[in-house]
Amino acid sequence: MKVRSEKITFDETLSLQCGKSLPGFELMVETYGELNAQKNNAILVCHAFSGSHHAAGLDEGSGKTGWWDQMIGAGKTVDTDKYFVVSLNNLGGCHGSSGPASINAETNDPYGALFPEVTVLDWVKSQKLLAEKLGIDCWEMVAGGSLGGMQALQWAITYPEAIKKAGVIAASAKITTQNIALNEVAREIIRKDENFHDGNYLVQNTSPKQGLKEARMLGHITYLSESSMGKRFGRNLQEPETKVDSSINYEVENYLQYKGEQFADSFDANSYILMTKAMDSFDPAETCGGDLVESLKGIQAKLLITSFDSDWLFPKEHGLEIQVAAMKAGLKSSYLECAGEHGHDSFLFHQEHYARSFKNFLENNE
Amino acid sequence: MLDWVKPNAKVIDLGCGDGSLLKELVLKKQVIGYGIENDPEEINACIINGISVIQQDIDAGLENYFGMGFDVAVMASSIQCLKRPRFALRNILKIAAEGVITLPNFGNWELRMGLLKGRMPSSAELPAKWYDTTNLHLCTIADFEELCDEEGFIIKKKVYLGKGGRSSWLARSWPNLFAVEAVYLLGN
Repeated sequence: MKVRSEKITFDETLSLQCGKSLPGFELMVETYGELNAQKNNAILVCHAFSGSHHAAGLDEGSGKTGWWDQMIGAGKTVDTDKYFVVSLNNLGGCHGSSGPASINAETNDPYGALFPEVTVLDWVKSQKLLAEKLGIDCWEMVAGGSLGGMQALQWAITYPEAIKKAGVIAASAKITTQNIALNEVAREIIRKDENFHDGNYLVQNTSPKQGLKEARMLGHITYLSESSMGKRFGRNLQEPETKVDSSINYEVENYLQYKGEQFADSFDANSYILMTKAMDSFDPAETCGGDLVESLKGIQAKLLITSFDSDWLFPKEHGLEIQVAAMKAGLKSSYLECAGEHGHDSFLFHQEHYARSFKNFLENNE
Repeated sequence: MLDWVKPNAKVIDLGCGDGSLLKELVLKKQVIGYGIENDPEEINACIINGISVIQQDIDAGLENYFGMGFDVAVMASSIQCLKRPRFALRNILKIAAEGVITLPNFGNWELRMGLLKGRMPSSAELPAKWYDTTNLHLCTIADFEELCDEEGFIIKKKVYLGKGGRSSWLARSWPNLFAVEAVYLLGN
């Protein structure tokens, strides 16, 4: 699989939904496979809340495999021998694209809290500029899970002629009150870390790592299912020599501590707040007076909407709601309800029914 | 049955299998079609056929599809597999203006012979043993038409078919005894 990694600079001013604008920006991009001469084999994958541009393959620097490596690669569900796959770190992220940790040209300091609020629509607009830069007029497919699925849906709505298929996976047309509440608890934990300094921690040479870690521990529980946690950890006690903290009793505690710590070392707290806010505000029906059917009517792409039965964060009813609205709008749209044992995270894993249907949907051109 | 569906109609096929009926309707009648199916193998076949399919158990309810303006709802050879067939039939005519139902006739003489011999009926068309069959609610043509009458469903058209799906004089003359399958166009 041919992998390219590149930071792309955009000189255009990007007007954002919040009313502010960015005078130029950078996007960190990774691509897999080759764009064909007709430029009609391109697929855009959009990452979820904490993802990055590194979607597939092994990154030798960090030693990490990409977040969707089970699905993308030579001979895999998204076959990089056939398709040219583009993955990017979204605006406001912290993996190389312009975000709160980038330097603000006006102040010569990191943006911190001054980085403007961005939305799913803003991301899609920046991705459209990326497509133009790559010479791609029309994506064969735009796909993603969770917040990535929301971007795929937004693409189909905003640029109907620039997308042939949309993979809307483990997503929702708008998140629930409970989702917003959970996000707010995570944000509050970060804000109340004494090193947060109202978001301007980088100029103080510090970082609210403890808050970020705790927020992630809470979030991580919501991405798994009760049964997947039970199967993996049970009520097993942690071996004394591998405890990350002496107060730990159970394996699951050790796991969450470890994962939280790891996340806090690699993620930016302002990006965490920005990404969760973007998730909270996503509601494409809003511009049509709350009428989802109306908001979908201009879509020309074929949709594949996928939910997982163990996902309680974005439950299957949310996927079905999009499907029902798509049918009322008369769109070509299919809905899968997959048995995924990993809760909300199920979309990351290869599973027979999910992967096979996805592949056939992608490759079918009738 | 293809003749009963108007060009450009909005059609939903309940228990659509591999989507081949919808595919034919799309090709010949340019319909907007959706299939409901719960078997992953069949769903995948629908996707290969380019048919829009929704993974759902029909027994779980069809209320989602009310008010979508379907012209025709099709239920081919699945009514006898449902837990609540009467309920499903009522819903079919709430989803669409017309319902096309195909029904295996358990009053057919071959099956009656089986029962006379003291064995649960089986035939070339219904080969599964009693412990393997997905058929839960068995009915004859006479039973089905009685139900339509009770529920106030109007049978607008009907076709009785003999072996191999062929029309025959015997099946037309004494359907409850000789028809293997019946196809109905129902309305309210």
